[in-house]
Amino acid sequence: MHLSRILIVAKKELVDFIRDWRTVLAMILVPLLIFPAIFIALPLFLQGEAAELSSYELTIEVQGDLPDDLNSHLDGRNLIIIQTDLLTNGTLSEPGIDAERLNSGQGINAILRLRQIDSNASQSWYYAILSDSTDELSLEAKTRTLDAVLKWEEQVINSTLAQNNLTHEEAFDPIHWDGNQNTADVASGGDLAAMGLAMFIPLVVAMWTTTAAIQPSIDLTAGERERGTMEALLCTPTARSDLLFGKWLAVATVACVSVLGQMAGLLFAVNFLVGGGLEAPSISTGGVLLLLLSVILFAVFVVAIELAVAIRAHSVREAGSILGPMVLIFIGPTLFAQFVNLQGIEAWWFVLPVFNITLAMREALMGIYDPLHIILWLSTSLAYATGAIWWASKQFNREDLVESLS
Amino acid sequence: MSEALLKVSEVTKSFADVTALSTVTVDFNAGEVVGLVGGNGAGKTTLLRLLCGLYQPSTGTVQGVVDEKPVDIHRMREHVGVVPESTGLYARLTAWENIRYHSRLNGIDDEMSWSRTERFAKLLNFDQDLHRSTRGFSRGMRQKTALLRALSHGPKILLLDEPTGGLDVTSARIVRKLVRKLGDEGGTVIYSTHNLAEAQQVCDRIVIIHNGTIRADGPPSELMAEVNCDDLEGAYVALTEDVARADAPAEEEGRIARAWRRLLTRGGGSVE
Repeated sequence: MHLSRILIVAKKELVDFIRDWRTVLAMILVPLLIFPAIFIALPLFLQGEAAELSSYELTIEVQGDLPDDLNSHLDGRNLIIIQTDLLTNGTLSEPGIDAERLNSGQGINAILRLRQIDSNASQSWYYAILSDSTDELSLEAKTRTLDAVLKWEEQVINSTLAQNNLTHEEAFDPIHWDGNQNTADVASGGDLAAMGLAMFIPLVVAMWTTTAAIQPSIDLTAGERERGTMEALLCTPTARSDLLFGKWLAVATVACVSVLGQMAGLLFAVNFLVGGGLEAPSISTGGVLLLLLSVILFAVFVVAIELAVAIRAHSVREAGSILGPMVLIFIGPTLFAQFVNLQGIEAWWFVLPVFNITLAMREALMGIYDPLHIILWLSTSLAYATGAIWWASKQFNREDLVESLS
Repeated sequence: MSEALLKVSEVTKSFADVTALSTVTVDFNAGEVVGLVGGNGAGKTTLLRLLCGLYQPSTGTVQGVVDEKPVDIHRMREHVGVVPESTGLYARLTAWENIRYHSRLNGIDDEMSWSRTERFAKLLNFDQDLHRSTRGFSRGMRQKTALLRALSHGPKILLLDEPTGGLDVTSARIVRKLVRKLGDEGGTVIYSTHNLAEAQQVCDRIVIIHNGTIRADGPPSELMAEVNCDDLEGAYVALTEDVARADAPAEEEGRIARAWRRLLTRGGGSVE
């Protein structure tokens, strides 16, 4: 094996990747931006949409007597209130002819029906809000009206309690926590951050390593066959194993950069959401090393398998149609392993492929260092990775690899 | 007699139930420009791939000779430059980057590779295009880049698979001229082509391959004399025509066709 030749191949492949804007977009920018987009941009967008809706002046019709207390709560909500008599004698929720009025777009966005009843409370009412849930403005009118009604209800409850010499806390929260609940948790902010990451990182690593490696794996194998560049490459005196390792190194580098980018984006988004109050995860140096080792072994394993499968494919299309669904083989166990209890976990879990790496990552992030577990996942992962490389290497020695299929 | 650089002995190459080459024996000597001539599917590309170690013979041996000692064909690769039919260029790299990549894989430093490339690029009128991306290159430009790539590490033997196929007259002429120049300077070139006039013009020796076997081997003048023809095309036809007829296997009727015929002919009917 010639390291210099391997590096020549890897360097050329990386240059080739970088010059393809689609690869840069898919492998670097998308993973970097996906979590900030989901956690920051989407909520901001939804807030903007909500603000836009709240700026509309809407009309509600109040049927029945409108008490002053409720009127004061409806005030300032950008609502035009039309008062009419309550004509229905039955259940207030039955729309009757008002359904037609709401649907016909006569300018009324929602209808609030009120009927006072006798009770021991300071006052008691039946109410219903008629609206059209498929109409955004009608729904907004309902939301504003309901909010005002609930505020009014709270006021009525407090008033009734006051008449009986009770406060709201005495009636509804007679047994309550003293002080701040968070301060009672002895786990440090760093420990909590590490636990949070233990839920995300294995999944992110599994999903993104497998998906990020697909396109480059295909491009460097089936793609080269289809474009006819493989034959010229195999004519050089560089050993096929060196060519394979060079290609593997390039794909693994792209996959790792992609995963790291996604993790950076995830941390940034989480940090932004908690207002910068997130502490750095408490992970020891040993934990970081074990985490990195597990990620590397997983990448070795996954990239080698994807390269081998792509080499076997007769065209780019065939490789894509096999590797796409194959991602589930890696993601499924990872998802499953997220819910396995680490407390008292049986040792055989650390022998199963994919499961072992996911659990190893979780333990490393949670600061659990069980020598037996480490020996098991390390040795089996090495064995799986070696097996995958051997299989990829075998595929790369196939005679028909030289044939251009385009 | 010149020293043999590549020796093919009793080689048969089969792919599943198809025999591409059958008991082929031929030597390629230093300083010769050899034309491999034959029709489509004759076995020219298979022989070239055996010569650069991409294929393993099913039976027989393919060996290189270095310092008069036989060596495994894989050990000959550093002495061989190959231009495959597909040219095989990376579209996101420039012509020089394509050439440099292969030179590095051949263990040649960039400076030496550049000096060789520049020299041959001038001969091919291509020196102004070396730093252009190969995306959008014409067939002729791609072929020239592939030729420069094959020459950049100073090989003893050049294997060319239909190097003028699809080229315009001017480009084909430039390529032929370069090959002839390499031959005149003592280089060894093995040159597969359909074009008999071209082979006659460029090659010192012609090997006619037909249906996976070697039908004739010798200088163009000898082949023509053998069948009393004035041109190589006539000689080729004479040397392969009878054999082609005799060798053509009876077309085997497929199972579906056989069943279809039986169905149609049941009751005395006829397919014809």
